[in-house]
Amino acid sequence: MTGLTARGVVRAEWTKLLSLRSTWAVLGATAVLTVAFGALVGWNQARAGDAPTVAGAFLPIDLFSLVLGVFGVLLMTGEFSSGLVRATFAAVPRRLPVLWAKAVTLAAATVPVLAVTCIVALLANQAFAAGDRITLADPGVLRATAGAAAAPLAMGLVGLAIGTLVRHTALAIALFVATLLVLPAILPAALPDDTAGDVLRFVPVAASQAMYAVGPDGGPFDLLAPGQAALVLAGWVAVLLAAAGFVLRRRDA
Amino acid sequence: MRGRDACDPRPSPPSHPAPSVRAVIEVMKLTKVYGRTRAVDDLSFTVRPGQVTGFLGPNGAGKSTTMRMILGLDRPTAGRATVAGRPYRDHRAPLHAVGALLDARAAHPGRTARDHLVALGQTHGIAPSRADGLLAEVGLGDVARRRVGGFSLGMAQRLGIAAALLGDPAVVVLDEPVNGLDPDGVLWIRTLLKRLAADGRTVLVSSHLMSEMAVTADHLLVVDHGRLLADTSLDALLDRERVFVRGPRPDALRALLTGCGATVDDDRGGLLVTGLGVDAIGVAAAGQGLVLHELTPHRASLEQAYMELTTTKERA
Repeated sequence: MTGLTARGVVRAEWTKLLSLRSTWAVLGATAVLTVAFGALVGWNQARAGDAPTVAGAFLPIDLFSLVLGVFGVLLMTGEFSSGLVRATFAAVPRRLPVLWAKAVTLAAATVPVLAVTCIVALLANQAFAAGDRITLADPGVLRATAGAAAAPLAMGLVGLAIGTLVRHTALAIALFVATLLVLPAILPAALPDDTAGDVLRFVPVAASQAMYAVGPDGGPFDLLAPGQAALVLAGWVAVLLAAAGFVLRRRDA
Repeated sequence: MRGRDACDPRPSPPSHPAPSVRAVIEVMKLTKVYGRTRAVDDLSFTVRPGQVTGFLGPNGAGKSTTMRMILGLDRPTAGRATVAGRPYRDHRAPLHAVGALLDARAAHPGRTARDHLVALGQTHGIAPSRADGLLAEVGLGDVARRRVGGFSLGMAQRLGIAAALLGDPAVVVLDEPVNGLDPDGVLWIRTLLKRLAADGRTVLVSSHLMSEMAVTADHLLVVDHGRLLADTSLDALLDRERVFVRGPRPDALRALLTGCGATVDDDRGGLLVTGLGVDAIGVAAAGQGLVLHELTPHRASLEQAYMELTTTKERA
């Protein structure tokens, strides 16, 4: 028997993640729905006489972002609501490795699913094209697909951070939905027109959408360039996880 | 509340052994304040290996909070707690240092008992076979692959004990382990605790039941309102002699005995004296020319001793 190691903590979190049926159910169902809606949007675009677009194929990615956000919340609040957290922290009293390990295992479990989902959603969407189909080889498409696969993971990590900060499942989910999805819809009306865009393009959801946009999307404000958007989103994740780690270490469990 | 009556049963001051002593729990001036409540109030004691130490007190006395602070789960307002000379957080292999059962419901309901234990063990590189062996040992072999959500309180308690033993720890800390167990389970816990202590481990077990501690513990730490009322061996607590005295001038007698440092209570037409022996009382009374009609030693039952410790303190 050895002592406590970072590798051991990651393995433990991996076991915890895979040993819950809900993990499989949530990832599987969301992947299927995302592909189905990607196809449905393509079919509808073709029906109207338009060519199915990359933007259309990745429209349902927002669904995956929402689901992974909630999933990330539950990853930590589930520990607190079940009381498991005391056993977890007794095994890992410095606590921070638990947070990092949850982030790493969330990425390891979802990235393959997301990559496959995004590629299949694009293929399903383009299956309805009458003429030339868009492929990964077309300019910007591979990048957009990678962006579409990365954005929900970022939201999952944001959820993990919020779940760590708030600890109560219902409160954390409400906070996640309110600040990430509802607030950006209210802000345009609450801000002067000339500054609204400058604020809104830095909001996590807008940044994540910019990562899988190809060209201007015709929205009310210009999105960030994909590279900038990725950095902005990474910044949000880093700041929130750092705050979560700070709080996790200090609070009574 | 603060003023200590000189005649209270005083906790013997804890003597701190050298910090090199393996597997010793040391609690030094530990205090935890929640808002206006002092859940743990300047608590100091030492728990030694090779015996079962009972941590006894009414519900809300601060036992669980103290245990959580020992395990680094709660941050003390003041003071500190160490295991084998260092704070729990600083241990390289915490599960091998201390095994703890703090809360029977400390597993995710959607996970199987086996997965729960395997995951906890993986943090320390403990093989899954160890989890299988322990599940059989605590009597959960047949339900190892069932989800914890369907477990009874007794089964959850057994799983918690398996988790506590996972790292073959030198120190075992169990919070109310007999809660929810059937008579078989209670007997099993008693045997287990004694065996762990006989192995040379340090065993700290909390309970609010004196009767339970009477059959399992060798040493007792009695707490109430977050403060230590007694740090005593079980035998010493039983041996605390009380004396019934009766005479024609009870008030003079009371003043005399209180002056000698005894605690004096009214009891059925006489006085019940704690802190002075029969001989000393006789000599003191004779010195003042006080007549005694009766002078009888009483041996308190454990239950009485406990009630007395906790109620005397409340009156002070």
